[in-house]
Amino acid sequence: MNKDYIIDQLKKQIENFQSKVPTEKVGKVLEIGDGVAKISGLSDLMASEMVEFSDGIIGVALNLEEDQVGAMILGDYAGIKEGDTVKATGRILSIPVGGDMIGRVIDPLGQPLDGKGNIVTEKFYPVEKIAPGVITRQSVNQPVQTGIKAIDAMIPVGRGQRELIIGDRQTGKTAIAIDTIINQRGQDMICVYVAIGQKESKIARIAAELEKAGAMEYTTIVLAGASDPAAFSFIAPYSGCALGEYFMDQGKDVLVIYDDLSKHAWSYRQISLILKRPPGREAYPGDVFYLHSRLLERSAKLNKDFGGGSITALPIIETQAGDVSAYIPTNVISITDGQIYLESDLFYKGIRPALNVGLSVSRVGSAAQTKAMKKVAGKLRLDLAQFRELEAFAQFGSDLDENTRKQIERGKRTVEILKQGQYEPMAMENQVAILYALTNGFIDDVAVEKVKTWENDFHKYLKSSQKKVLDMIAEKKELTDEVVAAIEKAIREFKEIYQNGS
Amino acid sequence: MKITTRQYAKSLFELTSGKSEQEIKGVISNFIKFLQKNRQLKLAGKIIEKFGEIYNKKKGIVEAEIVSREKLNGELIVKLDDFIKNKYSAKEVMLNNKIDEKIIGGVIIKIGDEVMDGSVGGQLNRLRKCLEIKN
Repeated sequence: MNKDYIIDQLKKQIENFQSKVPTEKVGKVLEIGDGVAKISGLSDLMASEMVEFSDGIIGVALNLEEDQVGAMILGDYAGIKEGDTVKATGRILSIPVGGDMIGRVIDPLGQPLDGKGNIVTEKFYPVEKIAPGVITRQSVNQPVQTGIKAIDAMIPVGRGQRELIIGDRQTGKTAIAIDTIINQRGQDMICVYVAIGQKESKIARIAAELEKAGAMEYTTIVLAGASDPAAFSFIAPYSGCALGEYFMDQGKDVLVIYDDLSKHAWSYRQISLILKRPPGREAYPGDVFYLHSRLLERSAKLNKDFGGGSITALPIIETQAGDVSAYIPTNVISITDGQIYLESDLFYKGIRPALNVGLSVSRVGSAAQTKAMKKVAGKLRLDLAQFRELEAFAQFGSDLDENTRKQIERGKRTVEILKQGQYEPMAMENQVAILYALTNGFIDDVAVEKVKTWENDFHKYLKSSQKKVLDMIAEKKELTDEVVAAIEKAIREFKEIYQNGS
Repeated sequence: MKITTRQYAKSLFELTSGKSEQEIKGVISNFIKFLQKNRQLKLAGKIIEKFGEIYNKKKGIVEAEIVSREKLNGELIVKLDDFIKNKYSAKEVMLNNKIDEKIIGGVIIKIGDEVMDGSVGGQLNRLRKCLEIKN
């Protein structure tokens, strides 16, 4: 590069520089403790306004008192000393947002963490924002395909819904969320995965897995690691939601996953206790309900006049020893539009995803379910419920009457079919085909232990020889007589080949 | 209910305003006795500070701290005095000149919790930030 060019560039940049002397509001640090600072002065500060410490670290005013301000520090607070000056910025906490954030791993302040260079953004969105009002909203009418048979059939999720994933540690909560992201490929959906207080190794693994599945093309990971200050964990879900709102305002559909909100509540409890706000039940502050309700209320399906975008939220809550009646789980259950309940007993029995169908519900999703799926799923739920009741009798075997035995046999096969491996999301048309075969008794003559291989071969057969049937289901999304005939024909043909071949 | 230092200072100001020196002496000794009775003597320092703030505000007095590289001369002080009087619509300005060689040149004016950084050092800092953002 020639030196005249450099000088020219510098001159240009300096030309724009204005040597105006601004009046700044400043305060002094009185006290520093575990990510929270007490500051004197700063008289006209707004609630949740950003303040700047002397070494450029940002803080957020949380407590405004008569002659001091309590602020949480977003960053390394080791360099801040008592008596340092603090500047008010006059801006509410906001993060840069932009389309370039897709495919990146960012921290809750919008800075890249993946070493792939700077992110160029043009807009700032406030981290805390009031949720869209009644006039702007519309009821859920479009499905989110999770690619998991049990969920898509029995606990359908719609775009704009808030569906809680709840369960003990190690029951596959994150796995469901990741599978859902992977299945959004080609579904015109932007995904935001918010990791709150998670191990960085886990996030590295998830990022690699998403990359492998080609899902990073439409996904952003917002990461507040386990070693980052609690303030980062506290604002991470709001930042992720702000990024989601940016895309929603452009009329796009967004899926936001909050993994997990129990850790979010912990970090807020820590900040609140250090700020000396009075503790309540389980030492959480009084506004811990509002903490989550204001976050989840920001998920919405907007109507046509407001762009028609949506934010679907999949919050995750980790329970201790299956206790759903603890404080945070009950709060979040009451806010969300249903929950997916995972149980460790089922998980160890080998039923994966370890879904408890009885306790899991979706309050609004069925309005968005495709008609084809609705038809096959109604029978499925009934089959399973009857099976659960009769399961205890199963050990008597031959003493049972014909009808009961049949129901038990059907139930066993249903459980087998609903098992699904991780990173193996299934398209809607395949789900409809296999569930149709199951609920209409086409699998009753296959041995239980062979059901899984039968299913795999069935999907392979559909893909290689009966592509037309799949396309027909995908296109019509309804079980008309024509479609039913095609499916039945395909199943019969497959069974013939299968039995003769093996 | 706990009485805050601001409330103490405010009532002290109200009690003393418009009184003669003799009366004020009496008010103050009573005030101190009252503080002692309430076991709040430890607040005395803070109350004096707050009282000063309230007094200045009511009387239109502004205390300003001026940081410069060299001691300010008479002409500059008059100019600064006028500037602050205009900006804060104050009747009287108390200037307190401090010397700091690190600011290179210009002045920094500190009034209450407001700071106007017109020093050369501060300007250079802002220029650096401006260039950093663009690159």
